[in-house]
Amino acid sequence: MSETLTYPDVVTYAVPFFIAAILIELAWIVIKRRGGRYETRDALTSLIMGAGNVASGILLGFIAWGFFMALWQITPLDLGTSWGIVALCFVLDDLRYYWVHRFGHRIRWVWASHVNHHSSQHYNLTTALRQTWTGTFTFMMIVRAPLVLLGFHPAMVLFCGGLNLIYQFWIHTEAIHRLPRWFEAIMNTPSHHRVHHGRNARYLDCNYAGVFIIWDKLFGTFVPEQASEKVDYGLVHNLGTFNPLRVAFHEWAGILRDMRQPDLTLRQRLLYAVAPPGWSHDQSRQTSDQIKASHLKRHPKDKGTPGFS
Amino acid sequence: MPLEILLVLVVGGIAGITVILHRLGLSRRFQFENEEAARTAWLREIPDRQPTRIILSPDRMTALIMTDQGPGLAWSHGADTVARPVSGCTTCETETGLRVEFNDIGTPRTDITLPGTDRQHWLTQMRPK
Repeated sequence: MSETLTYPDVVTYAVPFFIAAILIELAWIVIKRRGGRYETRDALTSLIMGAGNVASGILLGFIAWGFFMALWQITPLDLGTSWGIVALCFVLDDLRYYWVHRFGHRIRWVWASHVNHHSSQHYNLTTALRQTWTGTFTFMMIVRAPLVLLGFHPAMVLFCGGLNLIYQFWIHTEAIHRLPRWFEAIMNTPSHHRVHHGRNARYLDCNYAGVFIIWDKLFGTFVPEQASEKVDYGLVHNLGTFNPLRVAFHEWAGILRDMRQPDLTLRQRLLYAVAPPGWSHDQSRQTSDQIKASHLKRHPKDKGTPGFS
Repeated sequence: MPLEILLVLVVGGIAGITVILHRLGLSRRFQFENEEAARTAWLREIPDRQPTRIILSPDRMTALIMTDQGPGLAWSHGADTVARPVSGCTTCETETGLRVEFNDIGTPRTDITLPGTDRQHWLTQMRPK
C-alpha cells in the first residue's frame, strides 16, 4: 500500500493566478463600468479571510491528514494512482463536496464555519477567497472517509479537493453572464453560483454544487438564475462589521449564546447547534423554509415558480 | 511553494489590491439618496415590518425607521447597508452624535453623526413605546 504518494499543493501554486485574475476582473469592471462591484474594506476582509484559511490549513491540516492516514492504514483497498483513478476521485470528491456544502447550509454547526463565505454583500473574485478558518471544527472530514476507505489515497483525495476549490474561484463573478448551453447544463457556472449566493427568498438553499451542477439537478436543489429577479448577495441578516475575527467567529459565538439561554431543555440546547440556521425554540427567528413561506404569503403569485416549488 | 514566497505573495497581493481599490475611489461609503432609499434598505432586511416614518441623519448615512412593531435603524456599511431593530440595544452619546450597541458579535455597534440639537429627539424616538 503506497504511503509516500505526494501531489503538488495546487491551491498554494494558484495564489499568483488568484491575484492576477482579481486585477483583471477589477480592470474590466472599471473600464467597462459593468460586470460587478468592488469596495475596499469588503475586498480587504475577503482577502484576509482567504489568507487566514491558508494559515488555518497549515496549522490544523495535520488533524484531517492524520485521520485520513489512519483510515488508509485500515482499508484493504488501494485503487492505485492512474489518471483514470484520479479523474474518478475528482468526480466522487465533487459529490462529497455537494453534500458537505448542503450540510453547511442546513446544519447550524457546519453553517457556523461556512457562513463567512456568504457574508459579503458583493460578488466578485475576492468573495471566492472569503473562506472559513474553522472548517476543521465542523468534523466534515468524516464525509471524505468513504473515499479513503474505497482505496483512493488521502494525498489524491486532498489534491482533488484543491482542484475543486480552484475551479470554484472563477465562478465568483458577475463579469460572465451565461456560458454555452451544454456547459451550463453540466458544469457549475457563474450564473448558477450567483444564485447560490443570493439572499432573496427564492434563491435560499440551492445550487450547492462545486464543479458539476448535475448533483443539484439529481438531488432536486437546482434553481436557475431568473432574468426577472436580480440576485441580492449576502446574508438574510447582513453583518455590520468588516472585522475578520468577528466574521470568522460570529456564528460560533451565536450558537454558544443561544445554547446558554436559561430554562431550555437539553433537546432545545442541542437543536440550537444542529438544527437548520434560523431555528429557535420560541419561533422568534426564521429558517430558510419559513422565510420562503413568509415570502409566499406576501407574494402568492410566486408559488410554483423556481425556488418556491 | 516555500513558505517565505507564499507569505510575500499573500501579503503583497492583499496590500497591492487594497491600495489600488482605494486609489480608484472604491472606499466611498453608501449614502441614502432619500427616505425611499432608506425604506428599501430596511425592507430588504426586515420585510415584515413596514416603515411608518423615516428620519435621515444629516450626513444621510443613517436612517431612523419607525414601524408599528418598534423602531429600528438602517445604516451605511461600506458601499452597502445594514438594518436592525433597536429593541434591547444600548445607546449613548458620543462627541459626534450617538452610539448604538447591539448585543450581536456580527453587528456590534453603529455610530450616528448627529448635531447636538437632534440627539435627544433620536434617543426619544429609539425608545420602545
